[in-house]
Amino acid sequence: MTRYAFYSGCVSKGACPELYASATKIAPQLGFELDEMTDVGCTGAGVLTQEVSDPVNARTLAKAEAMGVPMVTICSTCQGVIGQANFRLQDQKYREYINSEYLAEEGLEYKGTAEVKHLLWLLVEDFGLERLKELITNPLTGLRVSPFYGCYLRRPDEVLGNTARKRYLEQVIEALGAELVDIAGKGKCCGFPVLNANETTSMKMAAKHTGEAKDKGADCMVVPCPLCHLNLDGNQSKAAAVAKREIGLPILHLPQLVGMALGFPPEELEMRRHMVSTKAVSAKVKRVPLLT
Amino acid sequence: MEVTFKVYRGEGQDGKPSYQSYPLEVRPESTVMEGLVQIREEQDGSLAFRGGCYRGFCGDCSLRVNRKGVVSCLVPIGSIEKDGELLIEPVRNVDTVKDLVYDMDRLLWDKFEKVQPWLQPREDWPEAIADEELAPVRLAMRCTMCGFCDEGCTVIDVDRDFIGPAALTKAFRFVFDPRDKAAPERLAGISEREGLWDCVHCFEASEHCPMAIDPTYRIMELRDVAIRHGIKSGKGNQKNARHYDSFASSVRRTGWLDERRLALESEGFIGYLTMLPTGLKAIQRGKAPLRHRSRLSAGAVGRIFEKQDRKAAAARKNGKEGKQK
Repeated sequence: MTRYAFYSGCVSKGACPELYASATKIAPQLGFELDEMTDVGCTGAGVLTQEVSDPVNARTLAKAEAMGVPMVTICSTCQGVIGQANFRLQDQKYREYINSEYLAEEGLEYKGTAEVKHLLWLLVEDFGLERLKELITNPLTGLRVSPFYGCYLRRPDEVLGNTARKRYLEQVIEALGAELVDIAGKGKCCGFPVLNANETTSMKMAAKHTGEAKDKGADCMVVPCPLCHLNLDGNQSKAAAVAKREIGLPILHLPQLVGMALGFPPEELEMRRHMVSTKAVSAKVKRVPLLT
Repeated sequence: MEVTFKVYRGEGQDGKPSYQSYPLEVRPESTVMEGLVQIREEQDGSLAFRGGCYRGFCGDCSLRVNRKGVVSCLVPIGSIEKDGELLIEPVRNVDTVKDLVYDMDRLLWDKFEKVQPWLQPREDWPEAIADEELAPVRLAMRCTMCGFCDEGCTVIDVDRDFIGPAALTKAFRFVFDPRDKAAPERLAGISEREGLWDCVHCFEASEHCPMAIDPTYRIMELRDVAIRHGIKSGKGNQKNARHYDSFASSVRRTGWLDERRLALESEGFIGYLTMLPTGLKAIQRGKAPLRHRSRLSAGAVGRIFEKQDRKAAAARKNGKEGKQK
C-alpha cells in the first residue's frame, strides 16, 4: 500500500457523500492508503480572500509535509485553490511571512515541499494505466463517456505543472474500456462559481456542456470535481429549463466510473444518490462479480 | 512559399459561415497581417480587416488563425500554416461588422467606459511613490486591448453583457493606483449583476492573454480589495454577499463549510422556499447533510480569521485597504 495524506474537502462530506464513499472504496483496490487529514480547514474554494485562505492552506500544507507523503485531493476546486496557494508559497519571503505571522504560534512551519495531487493524477502517474487495465474485471465496453475537467485540472499551467495532465481523463476513460465522446467544452467552467451572482449564466453554462455531450451521443459524463457535479447533476433539470431543451445526462464522479470497471456494484458506489438517474448507465455496464 | 489564405467573409445566405480562398506567394517569415495586406492590394480590395501599428502594440489586428487566437502582425506565416493553409477567422464572443472586422464597441469600449478609465486624483497627491507600489499599475498597463481575454472568456460565451476580464483589468489598474481616490466607488460601480462577481475565475483569461498580465489573478485581487471595503455584491445580486458572509462565517467557526446554513442564508427565506422541491429530493437521497460538526482545525482556523481582522482594522486606520498584504 502507498500512503497518502488524504484531504477530503467539504462537499464529499456534505452534498456529494457518494464521492467520498466511492473514492474510499476503490482506493484499497489500487493500493492507495488514504490517511485522512482531520485537523485541516477549508481551502476557501476561491470564495474567501487570499489573506485568509493562504494561511489556512499553508497550515494544511505544513501538516501534509510533516506526514512525509504526498497529499491527495478528490476535488478539482480543492486541488486548484490549494495548488495556487502552494505555488505562491514557493516564494521564500512570502512563506516566511505566513509562517511567522500565522503558523508559528501553533508550532508549525511550512517548508514549501508538500506535493498536492488529485486522485486523477494518482491513477495515471502513481498507479499507471497499464496496471489499471489489469485490474479491470468489468470493462465498460460500449459505454459512451464524455470527459469534463472543469477549470482547475486544466489551468493555470504554472500550478498544473505537467501539461500532459490535461489529457488524463480521456486516457482513463479509454483504459477502462469505455468509448470516449470528446466535447469542446470539457475544459470550460461548469457554471457553479457564478450560481449566486447570476444563476441564469450558471445554468446556461451547465446546459451548454451537458447538452453538447448529450447531442454527441454520450451515455454519461465523468467529472473529477464535486462542485461541477452539483451544477451538472443537481441543477441539470433547471439548466435544461433555462436552455429550453431536454438533457437527462447522468453525471458520474471519477471514482464511480473507475469503481464500475473494477467490478463494484452501483449500490456500493452510491449511484442512487444522484439527482439525474444513473440507471441507464448501470444497465449498460454488465457486471461480473468482484474478484476478492 | 505557396500558401492559401482561407478567409472568413461573413455569413452566407444559408446563415452558415462563408469562406473565400486566396492563393498567395509569400516568404515564410512574412506575417499573417502582411499576407492579408497583400491580398487586399493584389487580389481583392473588398476584404476588410483591421491593423494599426504592425508591431504588436495597438491590439487592432487580433484574429484567429487555424483556430488559435493570434496578434496577426507578429506571427510569421511559416510558423502557423498547416499543409500550406491558413484558416483566418475573426475573434469569438462578438459579432463581426464585415469580414474580419469585429464590433469593438461591443466587446471592449462600451465595457471600458463602465469602469471610468481615467484617474481621479487624490487631494493629498503623493510627492513620491515607491516603485513597488506602482508595480501592479505597470503590469495592468501592459494591456494592448487586443481583446483575447474577452474572446476566450467562458462567461461572455453565454452572456455577452458580462463586463469581461479586459474591462476588469482596466478597473484593477485604477483601483491599485496609489494616486487614485475613487477605489470604493469604482468597486461599487462594477459590483452589480454582470460585473465583478460574475467572473468564474476559470483562468481562461490568463491563458489567452498574450501580454502575461494574468487577468484572472487581477480579478481575484480586485475582489479581495472589494471585500476589504465591505463590498461583496451590488444591489441586484445581494445573494452573492449573503453567500460570502455565510461561507466565511461557517469556516471561521467550524473550520469548514456548513452547507445547510449556506443554502438557507444565501437564498433567504423566499429563495429557500423555491428550493424546497429540489431540497427535499436531495434530503431523500442523502445529499443534504443534516448535521454539521466542527473540525479539529476550528480553533486554529478561527484564530487566522481573527488575526486577519486585526490586520485589516489596522490597515483601515491608515487608509491602506488596498495595499495590505
